[in-house]
Amino acid sequence: MAETTTKPRRNPPDPNSAKYKLGKIADDAYATAREAKARGEMIGWCASNFPVEIPETLGLAVVYPENQAAGIAARGAGVQMCEEAESEGYSNDICAYARVSLAYAKLKEAPVEPNVPMPDFVLCCNNICNCMIKWYENLSKELGIPMFIIDIPFNPDYEVSDAQIAYVRAQFWDCIHGLEKLTGKKWSDERYKEVMETSGRTSRAWLAATACARYTPSPFNGFDLLNHMAVMVTARGKKEAAEAMELLLKEYEQNHVEGKSTFRVEEKYRIMFEGIACWPWLRVTSTGLKSRGINMVTTIYADAFGFIYKDFDDMCRAYCNVPNAINLEHARDKRVKLCKDNSVEGLLVHTNRSCKLWSGFMPEMSRQIGEECGIPVVSFDGDQADARNFSEAQYDTRVQGLMEIMASRKEA
Amino acid sequence: MKAQELLNRFHEIATCPKAQMAHYLDSGKKVVLTAPVYTPEEIIHAMGAVPFGVWGADIELNESKRYFPAFICSIMQSLLELGIKGTYEGASAIVIPSLCDSLKVIGQNWKYAVPSIPFIPMTYPQNRKPDYGVAFTKAGYERVIADLEKTAGLKFDDAALGKSIEVYNAHNAVMRELVCVLANHPEVSNAARSDVFKSAFFMLKEEHTELVRELIAALGEEESGPAKTKIMTSGILADAPGLVSILDDCGLQIVCDDVAAESRQYATDTPAEGETNLDRLAVKFKEMDNCSVLYDADKKRCAKIAADAKAAGAKGVLVVLTKFCDPEEFDYPLIKKACDAEGIPVTVIEVDRQMVNYEQARTAIETFRDIL
Repeated sequence: MAETTTKPRRNPPDPNSAKYKLGKIADDAYATAREAKARGEMIGWCASNFPVEIPETLGLAVVYPENQAAGIAARGAGVQMCEEAESEGYSNDICAYARVSLAYAKLKEAPVEPNVPMPDFVLCCNNICNCMIKWYENLSKELGIPMFIIDIPFNPDYEVSDAQIAYVRAQFWDCIHGLEKLTGKKWSDERYKEVMETSGRTSRAWLAATACARYTPSPFNGFDLLNHMAVMVTARGKKEAAEAMELLLKEYEQNHVEGKSTFRVEEKYRIMFEGIACWPWLRVTSTGLKSRGINMVTTIYADAFGFIYKDFDDMCRAYCNVPNAINLEHARDKRVKLCKDNSVEGLLVHTNRSCKLWSGFMPEMSRQIGEECGIPVVSFDGDQADARNFSEAQYDTRVQGLMEIMASRKEA
Repeated sequence: MKAQELLNRFHEIATCPKAQMAHYLDSGKKVVLTAPVYTPEEIIHAMGAVPFGVWGADIELNESKRYFPAFICSIMQSLLELGIKGTYEGASAIVIPSLCDSLKVIGQNWKYAVPSIPFIPMTYPQNRKPDYGVAFTKAGYERVIADLEKTAGLKFDDAALGKSIEVYNAHNAVMRELVCVLANHPEVSNAARSDVFKSAFFMLKEEHTELVRELIAALGEEESGPAKTKIMTSGILADAPGLVSILDDCGLQIVCDDVAAESRQYATDTPAEGETNLDRLAVKFKEMDNCSVLYDADKKRCAKIAADAKAAGAKGVLVVLTKFCDPEEFDYPLIKKACDAEGIPVTVIEVDRQMVNYEQARTAIETFRDIL
């Protein structure tokens, strides 16, 4: 008779903890959309950096295909979904989030959660990449539903020009009026003001929480941010998100006072991680660092979803200033600040096959960051959702190399 | 001059851009490089410089690997490689549009990799149809003008732009006419057809127009050769000699195309009316369509390919897919659907600018020919 073993059960998270509350908010976003759909309301699929203020103010339920694809990939079904898209003629060089999402649009279900209700419209914003436009065009065409786009061009200059603000502002209003017409929902300036304040409150708490990495040791494991970030993407305009983020900040401050951390081993080295997480290999990439006492204390990816602004034009400007919409010098300086503020000792770059824009000038930018901060830079090849594009052995070798350089610098 | 002599001249120009650039520089002209897919060449022309198309080359990549990961398209990789190796030295600037993610990143890399040739960004709106989109296009043009004045010492004059627009509209018309004329002359090889298109990037458009007119006139004097199997091509670039010669070997004739470096360049004219000539040029971009790098939720391009193939009597569509080109890769499944719905066979071959062996492509193209 085979020996039976019982897996040790993890303690369920404390329902009063930020972790529990944030997890619930992320799950609720899907439930809210399902319920709205069941009530006969129109629901949308929405790009992660689309101005959430618009659907939130209009009272429209939306889900986020990028979050969904990350969730599917993290639960191990990324390759299966990618292959489904490839059987339709999509090249395996295309962004894996897009392939997962296009496969879901065809199948209308995934082998793992999260399953999401089918959309009545799509909301696209290309401030992260133009790949979003092509992906959403195809969703719109294949599903026969309208597409709303807010085109935020890549800014080759350091500052956002008045012409760009005027262009983006006009599109915001066009989009709002188009959604009003399609869904029958009405824009309210008063409600917008509330959403703007809440989004600002959530963002301030989130950025303050991530900034707790300035403490040594850091009161958190940087991989926590990758999970909590889902709330910043989907719910930053909601009051409960603001409250949960404020609780997270309180917990991190408390951890610091008590000398505790969610990074459960001794923090020997502190690094910045560059790029989107390798969701199919999250445990491997996390363990590869943790086993060496390397804490990923900061990443621009997390801070990318903190939006702070004072009025409508300033909101347009904030959406023009997300990390993938800015020039090399601006992008570099933001990262240099994170490295310096958080006493980073090394930079680990994920060369993400799914993301041409993010990876396309990363070699030059990371060279400049390394020089400016006096830290070693190491990169590895991976993918945000296609497990086939990652080699555990390469990752391990590169991380080991990074650790050895950091160790020798500490000794010197 | 006989058609073949003219085709030889096009071949000479298409295969030796360096000599063309030297010729213009020696004659005292300034040269401004223009990257794919669309740049406001009319502005550069009006400011007295030669817009010089740079779409990379079929070369081995070495230096560009310091800047790009392997999965950026080979057009951008080879363009940067040539820049780093000094091929374009003497040019006053390079204008790079922001129409895809790889174009966005090459501009950033160019500043550090090729500091001797100033980078001028042309930021186009994707939401180009509404008035606010046209205003943003115009602001982008004004930025290009300001940069050209500053970096290249050129001067802008709106009246001169009006004249350049006439030159470009005339060139568009002659290139569209050429496609129809060549469709009736199967004896002109696909390689020669490719030379005519390619040479347009290395010549002042008025000079190219003149030569193409001569070719059209010469072909009018000659008998058409024996018929071949008619096809349509689609893609960003389809000019690799190794590829084009396979089409010729297989007895296929390109009778129309949806290639970005070919007919897509000449599909839209600048309208006759407008407050200023710069306004007219901004409206031209508004009116451009049917291209993978221009936003279109209706995907009209896909249905248009099927319709164009049918209208030209093409028996099939050959999609020449540039590897790692997102915009084209996203459109391909929908192009296939549109053509399937019309009963038009489609074959896709993946290419990049580092290919040396086309035998796999040959097999695919031979099979394609056999089913047509």
